[in-house]
Amino acid sequence: MVTRYGSSFEEDSKGRQINVGSKERKASMIGGAALAITGVKKLTQGNILSGLLMLASGGMFYNRGKSGHCNMYQKMGVNTARDVQTPIRLEKVVTINRTPQQVYDFWRDLENLPKFMNHLESVQVRGPVISHWKAVGAGGLSVEWDAEIVQDIPGQKISWQSIGEADVANEGTVRFEEAPGNRGTEVHVLISYTPPGGAVGKAAARFLQTVNAVQLEQDLKRLKQILETGVTATAESWAM
Amino acid sequence: MRAVCWHGKHNIQVDTVPDPQILNPRDAIVRVALTCICGSDLHLYNGYIPSMKDGDILGHEFVGEVVEIGSGVSGVARGDRVVVPFPIACGDCWYCKQEMYSLCDNSNPNSWAMEKMYGDTGAGIFGYSHLYGGYSGGQAEYVRVPFADVGLKKIPDQLDWEQVIFLTDIFPTAYQAAEQCGIREGDTVAVWGCGPVGLLALKSARLLGAHKVVGIDRFPKRLELAARECQAEVINYEETDVVETLHNMTGGRGPDACIDAVGMEAQGTGIEAAYDNVKQTLKIENDRPMALRQLIKACRKGGTISIPGVYSGFVDKMPMGAVFAKGLTLRTGQTHVQKYVPPLMRLVERGAIDTTFIITHRLPLEDAPMGYRIFDHKEEGCIKIVMNPLAASQATH
Ligand SMILES: [Zn+2]
Ligand SMILES: [Zn+2]
Repeated sequence: MVTRYGSSFEEDSKGRQINVGSKERKASMIGGAALAITGVKKLTQGNILSGLLMLASGGMFYNRGKSGHCNMYQKMGVNTARDVQTPIRLEKVVTINRTPQQVYDFWRDLENLPKFMNHLESVQVRGPVISHWKAVGAGGLSVEWDAEIVQDIPGQKISWQSIGEADVANEGTVRFEEAPGNRGTEVHVLISYTPPGGAVGKAAARFLQTVNAVQLEQDLKRLKQILETGVTATAESWAM
Repeated sequence: MRAVCWHGKHNIQVDTVPDPQILNPRDAIVRVALTCICGSDLHLYNGYIPSMKDGDILGHEFVGEVVEIGSGVSGVARGDRVVVPFPIACGDCWYCKQEMYSLCDNSNPNSWAMEKMYGDTGAGIFGYSHLYGGYSGGQAEYVRVPFADVGLKKIPDQLDWEQVIFLTDIFPTAYQAAEQCGIREGDTVAVWGCGPVGLLALKSARLLGAHKVVGIDRFPKRLELAARECQAEVINYEETDVVETLHNMTGGRGPDACIDAVGMEAQGTGIEAAYDNVKQTLKIENDRPMALRQLIKACRKGGTISIPGVYSGFVDKMPMGAVFAKGLTLRTGQTHVQKYVPPLMRLVERGAIDTTFIITHRLPLEDAPMGYRIFDHKEEGCIKIVMNPLAASQATH
């Protein structure tokens, strides 16, 4: 039985009130699918408890994203269509056995980023500071945005931020610092993004933060492999 | 191709599987001429190494001929006869540049798993679980070798396969273990476990100038080899008190260095052994450190404990008090095989050492399941099994 609070609300296909904003719906679907897939992976790795948890919460986020309806929001009397959330920050560092200039040069050619950032499908450079980014999440859902380089110190630092109507507003900074004693370059990456609001949005964001932090770490590992060895380490996968 | 596959604890089968392919420009494909079962493969066989998957191809000790090379490989050519070191190493990271190849930063695609367990990752290893990268192993007709320019070492024409097969792992492992002892004039080195690594560690310690070497085991055949081939004094730990005997042999000082060539599946005697067995079976403790405890007790003050034996998880009742009070130095780790192959190959070439005396069984690859069984049970005086993928199965055992 659906309780109606007013006639001006949109309804989903089952006649339930749409109480989840559109950006949040998209993020919910992407994040939910990612969680569910990670959950399945965890299960196959024998990590039963966290796998099940991720699978269950992933399914919930995916469904609320798809339908625009969230039972928990309804029970809590929450409607998040226009809420804004404080940004989430991800910070990772890796040491790469190359000079700061070499790592900077590779990163500054933004079209290289999809080579090691698995969620990025493409980055197109459209001007000296403007680029167009396309990310594909689990389940084949994609988000796109334009980004602008706001600070560029050759061999040292690059900062960028999304501009215009980004699906998930985001910004990032990467610093290249020489490590002591010929140990190469410390690459410090800080990425922050602004998830959609709401209580469940917060929970989703917390989940996604851990998932994404692991992803970012793996991304930086691939960057290191590419710059140091020219390839990314690959094992045969037929027995997986 | 045919390959030795893991299907669970004590379940090894020879299966027909897809041939390996070049996946990266720095890969090569090697046709295996000779491969071994390693003592550390028994840890997989007995189910003590986590993250194995049904169908994984085993084996990290193999030599053969290069049959295919990727576009990014230099220094090796089709037709080269090669030794393949068991750790996979990129040659470019900081660790590889320091010749610490088994600590390579870049060769383990599943590094996140090991980081979770250990805080950081080591190199990938052929056929040694997904924790170590999930690479297919060398108990097969063909193997894909990543970073082939670093991971293939050419064999001089006059040496046959058996003379060089142990350069893939156990000879460098034994040699590194002995080198880590920092042997000085007059030193006594005691080696726990006279299996393949232990025997070669005794020989290596002699090569490095030890005054006296002592082998400790319970199998008469192994002790006999230690005495005859390695000029070692020997102790059967089932017949006598090891610590006391070692003290008597060294004027009451204790051995200057002790090598643990046993590792996590150590056998022991008495109540302590029973305690560890129960804990390991219940998976509370995944390593049985009986030998290690004895090493620590026996070693002289200020001495060195060198550990080539494999440990994978937690050990219980580690006598840290003795380590501290006696000021012992612990040296451990997987072997940096790539570093040791060239000098050790030269030793073999000029006849300074012959490692083939440890081979007790020559089997066709098809007989691998039997090989694992007899090696695990130490039947038929088994010390080292080498397998030939080309030989037809006799299946007469
Ligand atoms: Zn081995
Ligand atoms: Zn490396």
